[in-house]
Amino acid sequence: MSKTISRQPWANQSVAGNLDILIGSILPAAISVILAILTGMDFSLALLLIFLPLQLISVCTIAFKRQGARGIKDGLLILFVIFFSATVLVLLVSVLVSVVMQGSAAMSPHFIYQNNKYVSTTTSLEYGGVGHAILGTLIIVSMTTIAAVPLGIAMAVYLTQSNSKLTGVVRTVTQALSGLPSVVAGLFILSFMGFANFERSGFTGALALFPLMLPTVARVAEEALRLVPSDLRLAALALGAPNYRAFFQVILPAAKSGIITALLLGLARVVGETAPLILTINANNSTNLNPFSGGIATLPTFVYGFLGSLYDTSQARAWGAALVLLTLVGLLFGMARILGRAKKTSASKIKKAK
Amino acid sequence: MTKFQETASSLSAENISVWFGERQVLQDVSLTFPANKVTALIGPSGCGKSTFLRTLNRMHELIPSAGLAGSVLLDGQDIYDPKMNAVDVRIKIGMVFQKPNPFPTMSIRENVISGLKLSGRKNANPDELVETSLRRASIWNEVKDRLNDQALSLSGGQQQRLCIARSLAMDPRVLLMDEPCSALDPGSTRRIEETIQELSESMTIVIVTHNMQQAQRVSDQTAFFLADDNVPGGVVEFGETEQVFNQPIDSRTNDYVNGHFG
Amino acid sequence: MPNRQVDIQPERRKLSVGPLSTGDKWFFRTTTIASNFAFILVALILVFLFAKAWPAIQQQGPAFIYGNTWDVESDPPVMQLGPMIWGSLQVAFLGILIATPMAISAAYAIVFMLPQRLAKIATTLIDLLAALPSVVIGLWGLLSFAPVAANWAKLLNQTLGFIPLFQITGDEPTYIDSPFIAGWIVAVMIVPIITSVTREIFSQTDSGLINGALALGGSRFSVFSRVILPTSAPGIVGGILLGLGRAIGETVAILYVLQLTFDINWYQILEPHGGAVASWILSRFGEATEKEFEGLMAAGLVIFIVTLIINGLANVIVSRAAGRNR
Repeated sequence: MSKTISRQPWANQSVAGNLDILIGSILPAAISVILAILTGMDFSLALLLIFLPLQLISVCTIAFKRQGARGIKDGLLILFVIFFSATVLVLLVSVLVSVVMQGSAAMSPHFIYQNNKYVSTTTSLEYGGVGHAILGTLIIVSMTTIAAVPLGIAMAVYLTQSNSKLTGVVRTVTQALSGLPSVVAGLFILSFMGFANFERSGFTGALALFPLMLPTVARVAEEALRLVPSDLRLAALALGAPNYRAFFQVILPAAKSGIITALLLGLARVVGETAPLILTINANNSTNLNPFSGGIATLPTFVYGFLGSLYDTSQARAWGAALVLLTLVGLLFGMARILGRAKKTSASKIKKAK
Repeated sequence: MTKFQETASSLSAENISVWFGERQVLQDVSLTFPANKVTALIGPSGCGKSTFLRTLNRMHELIPSAGLAGSVLLDGQDIYDPKMNAVDVRIKIGMVFQKPNPFPTMSIRENVISGLKLSGRKNANPDELVETSLRRASIWNEVKDRLNDQALSLSGGQQQRLCIARSLAMDPRVLLMDEPCSALDPGSTRRIEETIQELSESMTIVIVTHNMQQAQRVSDQTAFFLADDNVPGGVVEFGETEQVFNQPIDSRTNDYVNGHFG
Repeated sequence: MPNRQVDIQPERRKLSVGPLSTGDKWFFRTTTIASNFAFILVALILVFLFAKAWPAIQQQGPAFIYGNTWDVESDPPVMQLGPMIWGSLQVAFLGILIATPMAISAAYAIVFMLPQRLAKIATTLIDLLAALPSVVIGLWGLLSFAPVAANWAKLLNQTLGFIPLFQITGDEPTYIDSPFIAGWIVAVMIVPIITSVTREIFSQTDSGLINGALALGGSRFSVFSRVILPTSAPGIVGGILLGLGRAIGETVAILYVLQLTFDINWYQILEPHGGAVASWILSRFGEATEKEFEGLMAAGLVIFIVTLIINGLANVIVSRAAGRNR
């Protein structure tokens, strides 16, 4: 708690909790709502043209009344911070609400498990679904994971356990790679396929996701390994352990939840990737469980495909698939969060125990 | 009961100098640690005594920029000889750290025998080894009913004795202790000091301590380390504990043991 | 009493820092190879893109970067990326302009205003925003956001239309498919990354410094403008650069909300034409001939090199600022 207090040394001059503030914040909102309804004005217009100026005046008045000229600047600062932060929140909520509302219109049990064979852009939503795309996404992402997670963890091990002077360079390159544009990853594999004579299949899609997943896993796993106190490694070495045994028997178990977080965040990173898959796999309307041959559907490419069409049913399908995709991402993200919290508490337990 | 070798080894450091990068932190330290004796290393912070301790079981070389001159002889054999394996050295020369550091993911029992697994050794009767080691660390009675509990459920003092037991399970000839009581309460400190006394019957002990009384209580001989701003650390005085504390030859030793600085 | 003078340098011994056993040897060997994969991957991407792109680069010459014609029907095909490159920069710049105040505000609120529990929730929400797939943002942008933003664009055009920036030439404007809307979409995608970097930097500002400034009679505003902002500026710039890298690489989301044209649009951000290299690659890819395919590879090479440099630079700046150089 003491940390919170020192973090907010101005807490005592907070402007919250008094009558004039209450009036000052309700009045502008009330006036603008009433005016907007009376004049039939566009809502976002009313927000910008009536509410914001009124709020500005009200904040300045209160601040001036309380703290003089210097209070005005403070009031403005707070107003801007709240306004812009609220904008971020509104945008996020807007995305989530849109996807959930529109997506649930398409939702039904068969939408989850059926495939899209015999479905056209105008077919009623009573038929067809994303079952084949869910399976395709799972297959492709699993293949990427099998390669990227062990390699990413091995990179993290190198970054944390090695004494080499190269670690700094490796870290910088890995970080730079984590900003790799997804379309470039797709082009890379596409070019590779040309030279290696690979057919487009689920496998080539998995290849294209690999460079995107690897840096994420490496970065998060490195953070997880770094949270393990170095004392434990020294204790293991002092007992006569070779480095690899110290790692597998002491460090890795202590970092377990963090490593799983790395896996989950890596999955969340690639499960929604679209461009690399459009470049490297062929679409498919029916279920294909063979990642080495034929077209294969995935959730992101499904959304992409149906969005190209202007028909309501197609757009509804796109929203529906987006909802499924978002749920998947949300699950991965939520699990990573919960584990992350567990990781921090166990790490602090280790620290406290000392 | 598992048979312990019960043979202590003598250890001697000859002309040890230590660097971190280009900075020299120890200059020409020579000390001998006879078998079954307890030696205390004392001195103000930053005088290099902990660094010196780490050269004695090759933990020093784990720091990337570390440099070393001189040799450390275990029963007359140089542990830095290219033919010697650091793993074998560290098994023969155990170490207890300043802060208790039991392995958090292991139970009490697993912690005690962790050294076996970590060094890839087998023991015919691990249960017996667990009991013997915990008894020797004077913690058996407190934990015998909860051997499968997590090690972190123990108190700080108990954790430190668990760490001692963990080292003892490897049957070391020499035990190095780096301020083992600095993070503990007086009661736990006293119990560990008693343990040290008992252990000295079967092994050679080197202990770094900031606590003058502790050095006097547990050790047979004492080395006083000192460093200055631009002068690397070195041994100012080395002798019987009785003599170092009561009739120091060097005036700086006198000042230090009587609390005039440091 | 040993000689404490350091005249004679004793000879240093060689310390073995290598593997302790065969297992160790393999352990270090494996992880070293794995870490080299970072370099190998960058090299492979460069080599493979370059190999395919070379014929196009050779044929088009430097005009590939600044010319403004894309005609693959003619023989030889003319492929010049000028308007797309300009468009990428334009959209990225707009995105940063919109995202930066939001990101700094959100970070300020999280670190200096909200109680700890709310701050944690806010942080999670920002991270969640970062995790949203770009195809979902694109879907939302096209079907939910664009109609709303078109209203804003209309408002801007009608009230501030005398400024060239907000002019629209042509009748019956739709106000959609414009760099303005694409800028907003990009802003949504890069707000999280700028926020999280800024938050980390803010949380490292010395609270003693803040206390001192307050004790000297400083106000919240003066503390922000004189203490917090100057010490955090380099880190925030790094965060913005990271955002720039993402913006330039953004593909699917922009494709939905921007009309890509080779009639270069220098500054009229409400007009329904603009460009984005990454989106252009995706939009042309389906029907590309072998020659055009090589041109698209060259375009990919351009964004790869640009983003690699920006990201590398940004990461160096951020880790310096955050003191994470371990």
